[in-house]
This record gives sequence, structure tokens and C-alpha cells, in this order.
Amino acid sequence: MLALGLSLPAAARADELVVGSFGGSFADNVKACHVAAFEKATGSTVALKLGSSSQFAASVRASAGASDMDVIFIDNSLAVQIHNEKLNEPLSRAKLNHAGEIIPSAWGVDDSYVVAMVSATALVYNPMLVKTPPTSWLDLMDPQYVGKYAIGDISGTSGLQFLLALNKMKGGTLDNIDPGMEAIKPIAKGSVVLYTQADQLVSLFERGEIAIAVWYPDRAGVAADKGLPVAVAYPKEGSVGILPVVQIPKGTKKIDLAHKFIDVVLSAEGQKCFSERAYIGSVNKGVTLSEKVAKIAPTGETLDKLWFVDPDVLSRQIPGWTRRWQREVAR
Amino acid sequence: MRPARHGMALAAPLALFLAAFFVMPVLLTLPTSFREYVPGMGITAGSWTLGNYREILADSYYREVMWRTLGLGAAVTLACVLLGYPLAFMIARGPARWRMPMMMLVIFPMMLNLVVRSFGWIALLANRGLVNNLLMDLGLIAAPLKLMFNLTGLMIGLTHIYLPFMVLMLVAAIQNIPRDVEVAAMTLGSSRLHVFTAITLPLTAPGMLAGSILVFVLTISALVTPRMLGGPTFKVMATLIYDEYMQTLDWPTGSALAFVLSGLAIAIIWASSRLTRRWAGTA
Repeated sequence: MLALGLSLPAAARADELVVGSFGGSFADNVKACHVAAFEKATGSTVALKLGSSSQFAASVRASAGASDMDVIFIDNSLAVQIHNEKLNEPLSRAKLNHAGEIIPSAWGVDDSYVVAMVSATALVYNPMLVKTPPTSWLDLMDPQYVGKYAIGDISGTSGLQFLLALNKMKGGTLDNIDPGMEAIKPIAKGSVVLYTQADQLVSLFERGEIAIAVWYPDRAGVAADKGLPVAVAYPKEGSVGILPVVQIPKGTKKIDLAHKFIDVVLSAEGQKCFSERAYIGSVNKGVTLSEKVAKIAPTGETLDKLWFVDPDVLSRQIPGWTRRWQREVAR
Repeated sequence: MRPARHGMALAAPLALFLAAFFVMPVLLTLPTSFREYVPGMGITAGSWTLGNYREILADSYYREVMWRTLGLGAAVTLACVLLGYPLAFMIARGPARWRMPMMMLVIFPMMLNLVVRSFGWIALLANRGLVNNLLMDLGLIAAPLKLMFNLTGLMIGLTHIYLPFMVLMLVAAIQNIPRDVEVAAMTLGSSRLHVFTAITLPLTAPGMLAGSILVFVLTISALVTPRMLGGPTFKVMATLIYDEYMQTLDWPTGSALAFVLSGLAIAIIWASSRLTRRWAGTA
């Protein structure tokens, strides 16, 4: 009995909601902005299970309709994949008090998910080393940055999105990635590292090993708060938008409680709190960002110029692009 | 007959445990390797195809990674034998009061978490790591040496991590050699070198083989160190399988790769144990 009890996750408790969340500062912010308010309002508790989008997708599939998580934060393309594999519970707008305050485009197909926040892939540079802020993706190729820049591997969102941005600039489409692959090859070769964890860049910026990188404004904002010398530039060709969503995996026994948690995430207070702490865009129409955050998070003009790639196309194409990247770019 | 059956009864709990928690899960993933995968849609239920295996054999990238993995396994094993044998010899034959402290030194790194040890190597081997900084400060090199995300980094990291396994095996093997045999050879006029090559080395061959198999299998299946020191540009089979499972979510290709790796490992272990038995004269 004892062994059995130990092997079962704490999730077995009746009033505990298990939420799949990204790690690091993201989890801290989820705790501060969403978990605290949810626990106060419902009297239930929340256990966070940390992981990445693809780990959650793999876990939801492995448990095939009996997921150990009740709510997951996940990238929109993988949320679509989970929906295509029929492994999610649809959201019920009637159970969400704040559903009406959300921008209409935030809802996934068949309400299979709802976007929780808006971020982007952009250029981040060290203003002490870079005198004129970069304005274009191609500034990475500037001779002054030889051996002093970094881009992400395709396994991370920024690597994929930079590939797509280059591809679009070079005349490619989502069905023809050749121009992008060609253009990124020399850039990847010259990159100090093809980073696989977003925070790998923190130490590279810290040691002055890189002057510029393709990175996330939200990570840069949080790192700048901690004293890292970084600033954000949105390239004039337009950045690519990142949409982390919330989704309910199939098989949860706490569907009402899961909706209540999502309701907190979507509420103006929850959104405002998370945006301010994480330097990330909000999906609640009632939220106005502070000036400090608005300078870094995609808002106004930068938000209008963001390219949101069809997640359904992404989920079908990413495996093929990943294969080509492994063979042609990272080889 | 009776003693053999008693032996089997003694092994039964372990056999049952392995059957339930190792053989069964492995067999459960076997059908997955014959399924079709449609990106964005998932695994096609009820499908049956040899395509995943065909693709692994036909694709030059998979072949490259396969050879790289086996080559890395062989190189790390060889390095462990070359570094481990003299060390094990010293521990087994050296002064008795050195034995404990030296064994502790060998075992000590195993008490540290794998991730921590790999991070230690990153701190040492990175472009601005300790090694490169020192060499540049001394003026020996102008630009940092590439010590990570390539064969060098993985060789260093994996040899360090698996050397203790080899040394522990070899110490036991060397201690098991009856000293009389060596003394007898010497009284018959053998030189020290000849005693070593004709008697000590062949008699420790089974121990060397056991150590080598252990190090080889651990190396080709290692995941954490290759992910951290090899990165996205220097992939081995284990990291490729992990990526297929956790990144592209293509489980059929991932499990096909896993079975190919297991098949190769079993074939190599079988062949090498036959060869060694012949060398040691026990076959």
C-alpha cells in the first residue's frame, strides 16, 4: 500500500488541479498571477507540472485520453495537433465569465483552445556593443557581428520562426521552404551556438560573447530587469508572433475546475499581472499595458505587423522542416 | 538437473521483474515502429508498414548518425581501456594502503549527478570556458578551440563518466589472476613483458570484455551528456530517438530507430564476446 501511495502523483487528490506549465520564470509568473487567485477563489489547490510544449503533447498522447494534467499551457501549433488527434476537451464559453472580454481571434478551431498571451521572435542586442539598433533580420549578416551572434535551433520556436521570416523575405512560401533553408545555412554556420534552451543566451550576453541574437522580447525584458545589458528591436520586415494557449486534455475529471482556472488566466487581472511580470502581450481587451512593458512586448504597430502563421499548417509541416534542418543546416 | 533448477528458481524473481517492467514495455513499442505517421494528425491507427525501417536504411543522414554512434562507442571504450588498465593495475597490484584512497577517487565522480558533471564539462570546454581562456591568456592560441558540440567534447565527457565502470571491472579481473601462474612463467625464463602479454592480459580478457561491453552499451545509449555536450549539431542515435519522440512526435520512426540501435548493440556484443573468448582460450 505504501509503495502504491508513493508511486501515485500528488494529482490523485480530489480537489487538486494539475496544470502543465513551462518552467523558469514562466512558472513563477503562473504561480503569482493565476494560481494564487484561483486557489483563493475556489479553495482548491494547484500542482504545476513543468515541461515544454512538445513534452506535454507527447505526454497527452501517451496517456491517450486519460491525461494526468487538467489544464496545459502549450504552443498553438501543438494544440492544433492535439485537437487533430482528438485528445482534448472543447472549451465551453458558457463556463468562462471572461470569455466575452477576449479578442475573437484568440479562440482555436472548435474552441479547442484559447490563446493566453502574445509574444514574438525578434532581435535582441547589447546596446553597449551595438551603437545603431538593428532594423532588419539581415543585420545579423553585418560583418561587425561575425562570430558575435546566435540563433536558435529549429527545436525551439525562435529557430523555426526565424527560418520562416527569412523564407518569406526570400520569396518562399509555407509550401516551399527552399529559399529559407538556403538563406539560413550560412547564418547557422556562423552562429556562436544553435541554442536549444532560451536561457542559454543569458550567459552568452553576460560574458559579451554575443552582441546580437534572434530571441524573445519577453525573455529579454525579464533578463534586462535583472541587469542584463539587452534591448529589443522588431525588424522592419515584421516579426513572427508566438501564441502560447491554454487547453484541457481529454480525460480530466475536473472539467469545471479546469474552466475556472482558465477563467482566471483570461481575466483582466490575471492577464495584466502576467503581462507586467513577463513582458508579454495580453488577449483581454480590457488590459492596458504599462509604458515599460509596452516598449518591449508586441503592442500597437509591432503587434499589427506580427505575422501569425496558420498553426494547422505548422503542425503538418514542422516535422518535415525539422528533418531538412537536421540534414542541411545543422549537419 | 536439480542444481540447475534451483538456480532458475533463484533467478525467477529477477526474471519476472525484468519481464514485467522491461521486456513487456519494449514489446509494446514494437508495433508502433510499424505504424504510419502523418505529421499534424498523429499515428494512423491500424496501419502497417515497413516504411520506417526502409527510410532508416535508405537515408544517408540516419546512416551517418548510426556510424557516428558506433564509432563513438568504440572510441570511448578504447579510451577507457587504455586509461583504465594502468590505473586498475596500480590499484590491484600497488601498495595495499593506496588501494582504498585510489578506489575512492575512481568512484567519487559517480556520486555526482550526471547533469552536474556535464555542466562542469561545459564550464571547462565552452568557447569562453576555463580551458580556452587559459590557453588564450597564455598566448598559446588566438581563437578559442572548438571543444564542444563535436566529437572531442563527447569523447572527453563520456570517457570521464564511464571510466569508473571499466576500472572497477578490471580491478576485479586483475585481482583474480593467480599470482602463481605469473611466477611460474618467470621461473621458466619469461621476461616481464612476455608474462604480461602472454598471461596477465589474456587472463584479464573476460574482465576487459565485460568492462568494454558495459562502457560500449552505456555510451551508445547515453542521452544526457550527448544532449548537453553534443548539442543540435552533433547528434547520436539516442538524441535522435529522443527528438523523434519528444520534438517531432513521430513515435513510429523513433521506435524503429530504437530497435535498430538495440539490434546493432546486441550483434556487436555477441560478435565481440565470441572473439574475446577465442583470444582468452576459453572457447
